[in-house]
Amino acid sequence: MTAKQLTPEIEAWIEQRWSRFPEGAAGKALTLGVLYQAQETFGHVDTEVIDIVADRLGVTAAHVRGVATFYTMINARDVGRYHLQVCTNIGCMLDGAYELFDRCKARLGVQNKGTTADGNVTLSEVECLAACGYGPVAQIAERGKPEIPLYFEHLDEKKIDAILDALEAGNVPTELGR
Amino acid sequence: MGENLKIISQHFDDPQARHLDHYETHGGYRMARKSSSMAPGDIHGEVKASNLRGRGGAGFPTGVKWGFVPKDAETVYLVVNADESEPGTFKDRHILFWNPHMLLEGMIIAARSLGVRNAYIYIRGEMQREFRVLQDAVDQAYAKGYLGEGIFGSDFDLDITICRGLGAYICGEETALLSSLEGGRGWPRLKPPFPAVKGLWGQPTIVNNVETIANLPWILEHGGQAFADLGVGRSGGLRLVSVCGHVNNPGVYELPLTVTGNDLIEMCGGMREGKAVKGIIPGGVSMPVLTADELDVPFEFDALQNDERIREVETAPGVKFDLGGGRTLRTMAGSGGVVVMDETTDITKAAWRILHFFADESCGQCTPCREGTGWLASVAHRVAFGHGRAGDVELMASIADGIAGNTICALGDAAAWPTLAFLTKFRGEFEDKVKNSHDAAPAGAAGGAP
Ligand SMILES: Cc1cc2nc3c(=O)[nH]c(=O)nc-3n(C[C@H](O)[C@H](O)[C@H](O)COP(=O)(O)O)c2cc1C
Ligand code: SF4
Ligand code: FES
Repeated sequence: MTAKQLTPEIEAWIEQRWSRFPEGAAGKALTLGVLYQAQETFGHVDTEVIDIVADRLGVTAAHVRGVATFYTMINARDVGRYHLQVCTNIGCMLDGAYELFDRCKARLGVQNKGTTADGNVTLSEVECLAACGYGPVAQIAERGKPEIPLYFEHLDEKKIDAILDALEAGNVPTELGR
Repeated sequence: MGENLKIISQHFDDPQARHLDHYETHGGYRMARKSSSMAPGDIHGEVKASNLRGRGGAGFPTGVKWGFVPKDAETVYLVVNADESEPGTFKDRHILFWNPHMLLEGMIIAARSLGVRNAYIYIRGEMQREFRVLQDAVDQAYAKGYLGEGIFGSDFDLDITICRGLGAYICGEETALLSSLEGGRGWPRLKPPFPAVKGLWGQPTIVNNVETIANLPWILEHGGQAFADLGVGRSGGLRLVSVCGHVNNPGVYELPLTVTGNDLIEMCGGMREGKAVKGIIPGGVSMPVLTADELDVPFEFDALQNDERIREVETAPGVKFDLGGGRTLRTMAGSGGVVVMDETTDITKAAWRILHFFADESCGQCTPCREGTGWLASVAHRVAFGHGRAGDVELMASIADGIAGNTICALGDAAAWPTLAFLTKFRGEFEDKVKNSHDAAPAGAAGGAP
């Protein structure tokens, strides 16, 4: 297996941004952005990815690891092809989010942060997605498709079933999202 | 100015509005152009006169904050806080999505006044769609020569760079945000020094909320005094309020500061199924709850803090919570995120969910917050789900009291204040839960449906 490499897109992104930060501060400042894009490329952030990012930005691996473990959007392990994130915070809870989350768990046969055996769907309970008036709300991300993350609002049993059916069949029901 | 004046939200829901050309047909970028050749002090003068107060949570007067930047500063940074993640709050996301150019225009005006060469927008990582819209808007502005070198043909240079968060509520706190922008963990820093004196890379930095900055084009066009006149007392302008919960028409409303809690419910089409109100959180879940009989007070910064119709928060029946210096706590306008709860709401479960959030999001740097929020969440959980123990109500109050005022950043207070307010105003509900508690605690109760 060939060693992992940052993509030309990430390299171009780094080049373009470097001068926006003061002398000597850019490498560190770009850590979050490069980590996120590396995760999009490789699926998750492991020690190898951490070393590559640290090397490229001229910062220590310990620094990159510290950042990677602090932020919830960086995953140490692969998530499913689809990542279904259901908000259960106060606004959505008042609209019945927990009942829907339980339904997702039951249908997918997983607990919070679990991935279905076929690697298709990861289910996560997330905090407020800043759409509280349109709850319950979920966000779906699809691996390798940065344009996909969509919000699904005013969820009810019917809608969540339709979403789960679609994910099982291998597509994101974009017509239900926005 | 008409009754239904809208400053920021006029073109919400118009998908064309986010395009630069369209924004310009409505008069957009005229004030940015004008500002690029204005004396910085004149812009600052209008902002001071406007009584604009920060819309991010603390309500601090924007003109005063800008005045803290040392006069001889060589490098000053402007940072827009687009991390919106206070539960119940969803108004900045609307600005980013529907009206991104108004934010950029406001940033140009602020940057001109503050002598900024490099400005940053820190946008919440989860907002992928808003990020794309905003990046598009920035690219359009560069293409037009409204950003970059010599903007609008003046001698004023300005770069705006968008930086994305990666999922951490604490990064909305301004010093944590700066730590994150510098590329590190989102750890808050002790204040003082305040960012306006020593912020990003040790330089003076103004951090302002999205909505705060989006008001600047209007202020420059109509004058600071006109903005002040729209408001009341020491608070100028209108305000975006996001309403969620048990009303018929939740959503984002741009309203005068004279609007009360009761008005707001009416504007949102009343309560669902005609039910009665039990409580309203007026400014994001960090803020003390109001009860049904406290809703005749305007949702304005000073009124919510001082109006005697709002009960003072207590640490025990009859013992007022000391906010420091003998001041008491009623509530605050916070982020404008309003959560309406009807009579069927189990307040103990609402309190638990809020505390569960803070426990999850504590960055762990200070012991009272790290230990206290976790402990509060677990006691609140057992009370809410029928396993409370004698003394739990007092225990929650004493944990909260031990956190308040003893931490590096205000997340500690953000967990403590609502706890004390729920206990002050709905004490009976918590006590009943404890009284009727069953003994055997089932395993894995944390996922239970409220
Ligand atoms: C825990 C915590 C979270 C915060 N989250 C946000 C946020 O998401 N957005 C925001 O604008 N301000 C947030 N603030 C307030 C900021 O620290 C800061 O006061 C604000 O961005 C200043 O801008 P303003 O003066 O324009 O309001 C938060 C504060 C705390 C203590
Ligand atoms: S109060 Fe809490 S969130 Fe703030 S610095 Fe301390 S531990 Fe971190
Ligand atoms: S509470 Fe679910 S989006 Fe805010």
